[in-house]
Amino acid sequence: MEAASIPHPAAHAEHEHHGPPAANRSSRVEPQLLGMLLFIISEIMVFGAFFTAYFFIRIANGDPWPAHGTTLPVGVAGMNTAILVSSSFTIHWAEQAIKKGNHLGLKAGMLTTFLLGCSFLFIQINEYANIGFAPQDAAQQTIFYSLTGLHGAHVFIGLLLLLFVTIRAFRGHYSPEEHRGVEVPGIYWHFVDVMWLVVYTTVYIL
Amino acid sequence: MGRQQRPIVIAAVSAVIAIAIGIVISYAIHWFPAQASTQAKESDTLYHVLVIASIPIFVIVVSVILYSVWQFHMKPGEELKDGPPIHGNTRLEVFWTAIPTVLLLGLVGYSFVVLRNNEKKPAHEIQIGVTGQQFAWSYQYPPSVTGGAAVNSNQLYVPKGTSVDFAMRSNDVIHAFWIPAFRLQEDVVPGITTHWRTTPTLTGDYPVVCNLLCGLGHSLMRSTVHVVPEAQFKAWIASQLSASSGGSTSGGASG
Amino acid sequence: MAARFRAPGFYRAALMMLGGVLFATALTWIVRMATGHATFHHYLSPDAILTVSLIAVPLAFLVGIGGFDYWFYWAAGRATRPEDHSSHGASSWKDYFRINTDHKVIGVQYTVNSFFFLLVGGLIAMLMRAQLAQPGSHFVDGNTFNGLFSVHASLLIFLFIIPVFAGLGNFVIPLMIGAPDMAFPRLNALSFWLLPVAGLMMLGSFFAPGGAFADGWTAYAPLSVNAPIGQTFFALGVQFAGASSIMTALNFLVTIITMRAPGMSFFRMPLLVWANFATSLLVVIATPFIAASQFFVLLDRALGFNFFNAAKGGDVLMYQHVFWFYSHPAVYIMMLPGFGIISEVIAVKARKPIFGYRMMAFSLLAIVGLGFTVWAHHMFTSGMAAWIRIPMAITTAVIAVPTGIKIFSWLATLWRGVLHLDTAMLFALGFLTTFTLGGISGVMLAMVPFDIHVSATYFIVAHIHYVLFGGSLMTIYAGVYYWFPKMTGRMYDERLGKWHFWTTFVFFNLTFGPMHILGLQGMPRRVSTYASQFADLNLFISIASFGLGLSTLLFIYNIITSWRGGPRAVGNPWRALTLEWQVSSPPPVFNFDRVPTVVGGPYEYGVPGAVHGIFAPAPSPTVADAGAGVVHAPSQ
Ligand code: HEA
Ligand code: HEA
Ligand code: CUA
Ligand SMILES: [Cu+2]
Repeated sequence: MEAASIPHPAAHAEHEHHGPPAANRSSRVEPQLLGMLLFIISEIMVFGAFFTAYFFIRIANGDPWPAHGTTLPVGVAGMNTAILVSSSFTIHWAEQAIKKGNHLGLKAGMLTTFLLGCSFLFIQINEYANIGFAPQDAAQQTIFYSLTGLHGAHVFIGLLLLLFVTIRAFRGHYSPEEHRGVEVPGIYWHFVDVMWLVVYTTVYIL
Repeated sequence: MGRQQRPIVIAAVSAVIAIAIGIVISYAIHWFPAQASTQAKESDTLYHVLVIASIPIFVIVVSVILYSVWQFHMKPGEELKDGPPIHGNTRLEVFWTAIPTVLLLGLVGYSFVVLRNNEKKPAHEIQIGVTGQQFAWSYQYPPSVTGGAAVNSNQLYVPKGTSVDFAMRSNDVIHAFWIPAFRLQEDVVPGITTHWRTTPTLTGDYPVVCNLLCGLGHSLMRSTVHVVPEAQFKAWIASQLSASSGGSTSGGASG
Repeated sequence: MAARFRAPGFYRAALMMLGGVLFATALTWIVRMATGHATFHHYLSPDAILTVSLIAVPLAFLVGIGGFDYWFYWAAGRATRPEDHSSHGASSWKDYFRINTDHKVIGVQYTVNSFFFLLVGGLIAMLMRAQLAQPGSHFVDGNTFNGLFSVHASLLIFLFIIPVFAGLGNFVIPLMIGAPDMAFPRLNALSFWLLPVAGLMMLGSFFAPGGAFADGWTAYAPLSVNAPIGQTFFALGVQFAGASSIMTALNFLVTIITMRAPGMSFFRMPLLVWANFATSLLVVIATPFIAASQFFVLLDRALGFNFFNAAKGGDVLMYQHVFWFYSHPAVYIMMLPGFGIISEVIAVKARKPIFGYRMMAFSLLAIVGLGFTVWAHHMFTSGMAAWIRIPMAITTAVIAVPTGIKIFSWLATLWRGVLHLDTAMLFALGFLTTFTLGGISGVMLAMVPFDIHVSATYFIVAHIHYVLFGGSLMTIYAGVYYWFPKMTGRMYDERLGKWHFWTTFVFFNLTFGPMHILGLQGMPRRVSTYASQFADLNLFISIASFGLGLSTLLFIYNIITSWRGGPRAVGNPWRALTLEWQVSSPPPVFNFDRVPTVVGGPYEYGVPGAVHGIFAPAPSPTVADAGAGVVHAPSQ
């Protein structure tokens, strides 16, 4: 069988080059940025599906929320919300810093963001341990754990990204010209934060 | 008529003939099993209307294809020839957007009329409970129907000419309660009670089919509905009551 | 030797997969120990180990074969490397079994892999028809039969139709828009390698204790929650196939938006590009829903959650809403790229511009939009709230309008053209007839009282195959014949191709046409045996289906022999205008030496002196000069 992509002899004879021609840029949007935004649309839909489950169990079926005999730690979670939201500001600070060439600011910002994210996750896990009900109890509990757990998983992935960015920041990888590596994970982190506000409002407050 | 027009006329005439033949055939084909309920009658009429509306559409599409193949296929010597550069025609495009829209909305509108007629609650109606369970059906006749204790049976008897409301519940997974002779079905879903209503019009025995994959025995989850005259129905109920006197009470079909 | 296990490839993959099993065993052991299982026996639960392995082993395989290498470099904090093109192109068939970032190689990998699963899925259909040839037959037992149609549908949907379109798109789209490659070549490679994983997982379920997943491709809860472990193979296989689809869709969208050649505005894009753009939007938005639906099932199965446990407040119908919110758009995911292929084939083979190009593009977007508003037409008899049927029936009927616009525009394109009736064109014309029939039966299903009778009967099975085989598969055949010279550098055997078309077309209609009547008469779908009144038609269908199976072998034979020894193809055998035909067959490793400039529409056949793209640097936009750089000027 013949390979699909044998170099065309004529094409190569003309002038030897070792890479493709640079692609034309037909949009002002950065490919990486666009990719991340589209991915976030997908992510929103994942949450959308979980909220659909929430909608059916809490609203369409009209089951009591939270289930009889359970309470949700609104206060603790509220404090946790504050932690997560502030981390959105610190990462913004880090981005601004590197745009101005301030490496120290970048490192400090990334590290703070990472630590804030970790404490959020830690408090969340602690909440699970002490909340007094399990997802196996009833559908409401299932939804509670699923929504917060899905979000927790996203925080975890976001934290991994932040960790990598932080390490790279400490190794001096970014510059005012080249900081997409901070920006793109940053967008993801902002998304994780905003999503938490939605989860917190619907699950704990409403 | 110009020479050029001849093929088109031939094609148009053939298309009209094809449509006519199609419609005649659609009446000749024995599409459905016995038509044993008022709902079946309405639903079958709807089907015939749909078929008659569809035949011209299909014939038009096929005629244009066949005509193009016949008239416009590449002839020897035309290997390098191109067609005329026609890019579009707004009037034509509006036309073939508007006509199907009107036709389709008309058809859904008509289907909603049928749906409403079929589901309308009549003045007098009896309720029979249906329970689906891997892999058998059972039926509950509440006191309002039996005039005595509730009856639970694995046989389904319904009186001819009386509207019946089936209240269906499942003990395990989803099933679907389908009586092809009545042209009606609905899923039987754990956790909720679903309903459908029919007025049988033709005495006889018809298959009851589970129409939603419910596991290993799904293929065999069948039963029979006996449509019988009112008097015979009463007699059957009475026989059930005496057979199980003091017995089954699980027939709360109104649940 | 040790180097073999360190370098990306199958050796390393095997090693890592072993590690995956160990990891799964250890993890489940630790977790079960921590949650307090009393006896040793309980620490090692085969179901738990298998479930975790089904996640860990495929990931380990992907790591081993090198799918994640680049990201590991990045995560380790090393300097980012620009894409290194040393692995572009393929010089022997072995290169197709490696991670390769060349979109043309990936396109071929995708396509061949998909056709493998077509054969397997089709072979399974043959077994089903053998069982159904007579009522009460014991060719296979009931449980196996349920497994057969479930795997049949899952393979053909998730591993054939959806990826084969992605494969053809992968090969053709960068060429068509004048790009050297896809936007994210490494992601592209990874998204291909997820597919064999998903496919083998679904096939492998036949060897699971309790048999293959047997709840249909729809896997309705709560049946799927309590099914044997085979169901987990489906729930996880879908995750891998779905992830692959999403990655490819992101890649297509970013490529199409950011990498078009100069001058290629959106309304100068070939309709295949439009079609994949529209499809990718559907994928990005809808696919997460099926992922979630299977997560729900998995959580219920593995951890005892209560999404679908009615006794504890779970909602059974919620599964269907979430599932169909993906799976209805999915039927357009399985059709829109085909519409794109048909536009290419018909314009070129009828030697005319596409009639109403803009409406063709807008109708795709209309289908995307409407496609999200009709999901509950699969649930007319599900017991959901009755009022939902009304809006859903209206939108379902209305969605036939943009589809009709496409059909009529193709017909108008044929009109007064110069029709080259070769194999690709025959399949395109065959598609127009069979898809119209399938679409019409779809519209009938939108009429609620009628659907209440035929839902879940063989009428549906007929609709499914008229749209998926008579629709999607016909377009795939058309596309494969059309681009075969470009992909392989060889011409296929035209006479065999025509035989393939006619046998397929005839046996297809003989197989699936009578199913309409079976359904109306009262034969349910998904049964391994049936009432004796249906025996004659079923025997007829089974015999016809074997003919259909054999016709496929003609295709396979033609493709294999032509690929090995067909006559060499010239760059542009069809005298087409679109850019992929302006390079050699097969195209050079980097597609173009210089990015072309687009100066006109893609389908200007019959327009004197019309040009779509030129390879010289762009002149002033008004001068489409007929000098050295002209790509192709169709003759009169
Ligand atoms: C490629 C896949 C594909 C496509 C394109 C379609 C297209 C359509 N489908 Fe189909 N469908 C499936 C694949 C597909 N379907 C599958 C797999 C199932 C079963 C799933 C399962 O349960 O396993 C299913 C099931 C299904 C149902 C549920 C049936 C049931 O389970 O009870 C319904 C109900 O409304 C439906 C409707 C439609 C409609 C209205 C269209 C329309 O988009 C069709 C539009 C096209 C035309 C109408 C033809 C061309 C138009 C003209 C020539 C214009 C003029 C026409 C008129 C005025 C009528 N489909
Ligand atoms: C693209 C999708 C697609 C395609 C191409 C097909 C192709 C075929 N399908 Fe399938 N089918 C579905 C999608 C598809 N199907 C879906 C979605 C369902 C619903 C499932 C569900 O209920 O969940 C279904 C269900 C379904 C049923 C109903 C099962 C039931 O409800 O009980 C039947 C029954 O006849 C059937 C038959 C066939 C046949 C005969 C073919 C033929 O076209 C096949 C032709 C044969 C081949 C293409 C292979 C030929 C090859 C060989 C003979 C040798 C191969 C050699 C090697 C492997 C080495 N299909
Ligand atoms: Cu009960 Cu199928
Ligand atoms: Cu649909």
